[in-house]
Amino acid sequence: MSDQAVETRDLVREYKGGVKAVDGVSLTVESGGIFGFLGPNGAGKSTMVRMLTTLLRPTSGTAIVAGHDVMKEPGVVRRRIGVALQDAAIDPYMTGRELLRLQGVLHGMKRADCRARADVLLGRVDLENAADRRVGTYSGGMRRRLDLALSLVHEPVVLFLDEPTTGLDPVSRVTLWDEVRRLNVEHGTTVFLTTQYLEEADQLADRVAIIDGGLIVADGTPKALKARIGYPLLSVVAADGSTPDDVARVLSGFGEMVPGARDGGAAVRLPGGSTAMADAVRALDDAGVRFAEIDLAEPTLDDVFLASTGRHLAGSDDATV
Amino acid sequence: MTAAIPVIRQTAALAWRSIVTTIRLPQAWFPALFFPLVLMAIFTASFGGAPGTIPGFPPMRSFLDFAVSGAIIQGVLIGGTSAGAAFATDIEGGFFDRLVASPTSRTSILTGRLGASIALGVGQALLFIAIAAIFGARVDGGLIGIIVVVVIATLFAAAVGGLGIFLALRTGSGEAVQGMFPLFFALLFFSSAFFPLDTMVGWYHDVAALNPITYLVESMRREIIGGATIWTALTGIGIALGLALITVGASALALRRRLRVSA
Repeated sequence: MSDQAVETRDLVREYKGGVKAVDGVSLTVESGGIFGFLGPNGAGKSTMVRMLTTLLRPTSGTAIVAGHDVMKEPGVVRRRIGVALQDAAIDPYMTGRELLRLQGVLHGMKRADCRARADVLLGRVDLENAADRRVGTYSGGMRRRLDLALSLVHEPVVLFLDEPTTGLDPVSRVTLWDEVRRLNVEHGTTVFLTTQYLEEADQLADRVAIIDGGLIVADGTPKALKARIGYPLLSVVAADGSTPDDVARVLSGFGEMVPGARDGGAAVRLPGGSTAMADAVRALDDAGVRFAEIDLAEPTLDDVFLASTGRHLAGSDDATV
Repeated sequence: MTAAIPVIRQTAALAWRSIVTTIRLPQAWFPALFFPLVLMAIFTASFGGAPGTIPGFPPMRSFLDFAVSGAIIQGVLIGGTSAGAAFATDIEGGFFDRLVASPTSRTSILTGRLGASIALGVGQALLFIAIAAIFGARVDGGLIGIIVVVVIATLFAAAVGGLGIFLALRTGSGEAVQGMFPLFFALLFFSSAFFPLDTMVGWYHDVAALNPITYLVESMRREIIGGATIWTALTGIGIALGLALITVGASALALRRRLRVSA
């Protein structure tokens, strides 16, 4: 058994008409972490997940999931993975408890185990009070939590979540994040989640790959990816008789200037990060330059996306048009 | 045979789920009960005097006896169409994907849905016989007659269920499956489900004479109004079995095809 939860090599899925939804993806996801697969709509995220969960046959390439080849041993893979797909319809006329028990039977669990497992999971996703209500009466957040619970019935080794929070309100989103984090930490389940939200990848994932047009354009820890973009940006606005030029003269000693980044002031990329910021402020004081505003901005995953693709990612705050 | 146990349990669980969701959704079962019963009542009231006065009607106690078989076939047809549409909705909505991504046996995906169609079809046949009995209908063939009627209804439920599953797998759209319903309904009217073959004329008669539904209905009807033989019973059972084998076989192939194309 390998330590990799997911390992793909040159994975391709071509649809009729020659459109390559996934165009040669080689990806390794280590066991035990939360992996964020980030990309805009239509980037190939769902196609990738469908191939990894045995729902879609790759056109070429290989994919090993939970130690087994998805093409050669789909049955073994299915026993070891949990899947919560995007917008998965949950029977509105069944209750949460009924659906969980049904899922247990489908996984070949004994009747008593199905009951016990349903109770545990209902507690874990905080749906005990709604367990015997029909799912049709659930809120969006409750459905997603039930969906999560359904994918956990058989204690999977690797859990696939396809856009688990798309369409959820911010509070429900945070609740689900907590759930996923807890699952990862307390139960050691490897989580492979796709998202089009930067914040989600940033908050939840310890490793991120960005997919665009069926290709991986960036891959690493969120921190490393952001570091690759550059250092944090220090912006200073001049005040009380000091000019932007005065500010710029001092800041230029600390790193690479970013022209036009700040009206009425200047901005510099700070290799020293926040510690260097204190030095910069002291230097401004020593030079007698007066300033009104000072701001240190870390690069975001949207900057990473922008740098990799030349476009902003929809859903990022900076990118809202 | 331990390998068969999960399939049986999964089939039972999936059939249970299909039955429960059908019963909890009135629009899924109401038409299958309401329309056949209403038509049975209307035709019985309209043509109550037809037997014995209009040539072409076989000898019978009452028109109600005559109408029961058509109502059963019609109910099974409507119920089977809804079941097919529900299966297509599972495909559209993602329940099917959830099954396919789990170790659920591929067989039970099919047999679960078929089992539900059959169970609902049998229940419906017994209910219709019971309701008709309340209004004075009698089954001439007695217990054996009832068994023959229920067996034909069961096999026909499997046949319609298989057709619905086949269409669902090929179209993947609940609306498309439900959209086939007028066609099935026409098929019903181009048969002896409501009126005897001998009162029909011209090409209409010829079409109805070729329609397998005609022979199912005739076979059941003989058991109810009288004149049944082993031969008439076996004809109905044989044709229903043949239809079921064809559609269930087609649906199994369609499932394999869908899984091959996708998975």
